[in-house]
Amino acid sequence: MSKFNNFRSKLADELEIPNNALSDNFELTMHGNKKVIIENHLGLTVYDENMVIINTNEQNITIKGKKFKIEEINSYKVIVKGNIKEIIFSIKE
Amino acid sequence: MLIFKLMYLIRGYVVIRRDDMNSEKLLNILRRRNISVWDVEKKDKKIKFKISYEDYIKHSDLINEIVKPESKRGVLLKLNKLKLRRGFSIGLLILIISLYLLTSMIWDVEVIGTNQPNTNEIIRLLEKNKIKLPFALSQIETKKLETLIYDNFQFKFVEVFVEGSKLIIFVREREPEPAEIKSNEPSSIIALKNAIVNKVIAKSGQAVVKEGDVVYEGQTLIMGIVKNKNSEEFMMVPSEGTVYGKTYYNFEMKEEKIRNVNVSTNKSNAVYYLIINGNSIKIIGDKDPYENYNYREREINVPLVSNIADISILKGVYYEEVIKKIEIDKETAHNKMKVSMYDELLKSCDEDSRILKSNINFSEDEEFYYLIAQIEVIEDIGERIRIYPIAKEKTEENVEE
Repeated sequence: MSKFNNFRSKLADELEIPNNALSDNFELTMHGNKKVIIENHLGLTVYDENMVIINTNEQNITIKGKKFKIEEINSYKVIVKGNIKEIIFSIKE
Repeated sequence: MLIFKLMYLIRGYVVIRRDDMNSEKLLNILRRRNISVWDVEKKDKKIKFKISYEDYIKHSDLINEIVKPESKRGVLLKLNKLKLRRGFSIGLLILIISLYLLTSMIWDVEVIGTNQPNTNEIIRLLEKNKIKLPFALSQIETKKLETLIYDNFQFKFVEVFVEGSKLIIFVREREPEPAEIKSNEPSSIIALKNAIVNKVIAKSGQAVVKEGDVVYEGQTLIMGIVKNKNSEEFMMVPSEGTVYGKTYYNFEMKEEKIRNVNVSTNKSNAVYYLIINGNSIKIIGDKDPYENYNYREREINVPLVSNIADISILKGVYYEEVIKKIEIDKETAHNKMKVSMYDELLKSCDEDSRILKSNINFSEDEEFYYLIAQIEVIEDIGERIRIYPIAKEKTEENVEE
């Protein structure tokens, strides 16, 4: 996380306003292990039936599982449905 | 998501399928162009997704360059197709309008419960009040119509309601009131039933029976013709008074010892009929599926269709029943017979009547319980009737002339 982004994130926390209003951080919401919603993303890197990799500002999110479907994708959010087994966050080099 | 999909089902969407391209790249291109994509499925390197018809039109150059749409769906797209089929569209529009007009107008007025002249007068009254056939359903205020008819006719009861495209006016005519005898008209009091006179209270008129007399139905009890003390002539007066008499009522009743009662088994079987112009055609289900059953049916009106044509659906349900034999105990049977006996007695007597003596005997045989009773009642047995003078004067006058 860049220093400036880090500062914006902390400021949002202090002001008690939504983090993504000030920072570029993504927001991840899970509904059990069947559905994951990622907001503030930068697109798909990999989309397969068993694996989806989503690109965000500072990290790549790898979702592993089975029978993945993308319920919706637009410039702001992506909704992935399926049997989720694992979510891995990896910092971009 | 359901609302979102429903919205695009109306507004229109395009289904896209692509076999030989990097799917991630395609989705990222669409994302960068602010094109919303949903229902993305990938199977064996084939990708299928949906985009809105608006986005497809907006970015048609790009989309047609990289992919080919498989199909276009949505209500608005279908409607757009109708633009080409003008004759069909106009016909459909005319059909919808005429259906709307037919069902939103009253085409007939039916008056139930009165004779033809009254019916014609009711229709004339409606016409006077600017209700002429055909007229719009929205024009009708049933309560107002009911008041209007009630005020203008001598009906006991008026109800106005709409059934399909028919206005039904249900009326009940007043029954002619029994002619009341005015207090100053000459009258006598006669016996209503056979009795033994118990007490005679004659306030006006001449009592012709005394205590202990046996009187028969129709016999005069207090006569409205009395002798004038001064002129020795007879004159007619209104009779007034009460005559109490002892009357006897005999009852014979029987009640079964073992009774068959139908008990429901909670099993049912439905059968549906299509009713066209009063003729029924069976559609689904079996007739008489059980040996013993209770059958109930109700008519279901098909929206629009029933209003235009005489078509409806009849649903009949057969409820299975089992016949069980129930033994009725002595006390219950006796009580039941007593209650029905007093019910019958009440029907034949006045409210003021008084039971003087009751003699009730019970007996039984193998099949029945029996009740034999004689009830002695004291009641008012008199009824006023009007009396008329014999028309002698006219004949006398004719003789004199």
